[in-house]
Amino acid sequence: MLNENKILFDPYQGFIRGNMFESIFDQYGNIYSFKPINEQAKLLTYLDMLEFACIDIGLYLDIYNDDNKKIEYYNELNKEKKRILDEYESKFGPIELCSDYLNRSPWSWDNDPWPWEV
Amino acid sequence: MWKYVKKLEYPVNIQKKDLNMAKALMAQYGGPDGELAASLRYINQRYNMPDGRGKALLTDIGTEELAHIEIIAAMVHQLMKGASIEELKQNGLTAQFVEHDHALFPVDAAMVPFTATYIETSGDWDADLVSDMAAEKRAKVTYENLMKMTNDPDVLAPLSFLRQREVVHYQRFKELREFYKQKYQKKDNQ
Ligand SMILES: [Fe+2]
Repeated sequence: MLNENKILFDPYQGFIRGNMFESIFDQYGNIYSFKPINEQAKLLTYLDMLEFACIDIGLYLDIYNDDNKKIEYYNELNKEKKRILDEYESKFGPIELCSDYLNRSPWSWDNDPWPWEV
Repeated sequence: MWKYVKKLEYPVNIQKKDLNMAKALMAQYGGPDGELAASLRYINQRYNMPDGRGKALLTDIGTEELAHIEIIAAMVHQLMKGASIEELKQNGLTAQFVEHDHALFPVDAAMVPFTATYIETSGDWDADLVSDMAAEKRAKVTYENLMKMTNDPDVLAPLSFLRQREVVHYQRFKELREFYKQKYQKKDNQ
C-alpha cells in the first residue's frame, strides 16, 4: 500500500499543530505555541505532547501495522511519557486512577482543580 | 473498558466570557457532526469492521473523540462562567437558562437536542467508512466556521487543534477504506 506518512514533526511541533505527519498537515490560520507560566504547566505541556504523539502515531500504526521504524519510535515516546507521568504525579498529584501516588491518606483523587477549571 | 486521565488532550484556559461563542460551540457538543455523535458513531460501528485494523482504528478514534467532547465541554463551561441572567437573555440563551441554568446539555447551536440518528450505523464497513469520512469533513468545516466567529487566541488554539484532528481522522478512515477495498476486492460502485 502507498505510504505517504514518512516524515514526522517532532512531538512539540506535532502537538501544537494537532498532527504528527507533515505530509497530511493542513494549516488553517495561525499555529499557537505554549508559554507555560510555571513548572507544573511546563511539565504538563511536555506530558501532553508525548501523549499526543503516541495517540497520533498509534492511529497510523492501526493501519500500517508492519512499519517497524514507527513502532520503535512509538515505544521510545511511550517510555519517555511514562517517565514524565511519574515525575508529574510525584510533584502535582495523581492524574490516573491506577497511579502509584494514590497510596496516601487522605485519598487525593478528588483534589482540585479538575481539567475544565482554569 | 475505559480509563480516565485527569487532564485534557489539549489544554483549555479561556479568560474572557463570550456567550455568543458558547452558543455557537454547542454545534460540536450535541450537533449532528459534533464530538458526541462522532464518538458514539465510531464506537458503535467498530463491531462490524471486517478485521483487526478497522476494529482498532474505530476504537481509537472513538476514544479520542471522547476526549474531544471533554475539550468542547471545558470551552463552553469557561465561556459561560459567571454570566448573569441578563447577559444570557441578550445572547439568545434564555431557553438554555430556563431549562438547564449554566449546565451543559447536548444540543446543537440552535438548541436542537442530540438524537440517536446522528450515530449512523449501517452494518456495512464500506457504507460506514464513507459516512465517517464525510462526517470528518463536515466537522472540519464547522470548526473553520467557528474560527471565523472569534479573535480570542484562547479559543482559537483549541479550535485549531480540534480542526486538525478532523483532517487526520479523515485521512486514516480514507486509508483504511482503500486498504479494505483492495483486500476484499470491492469497487466504488459495489
Ligand atoms: Fe474526528
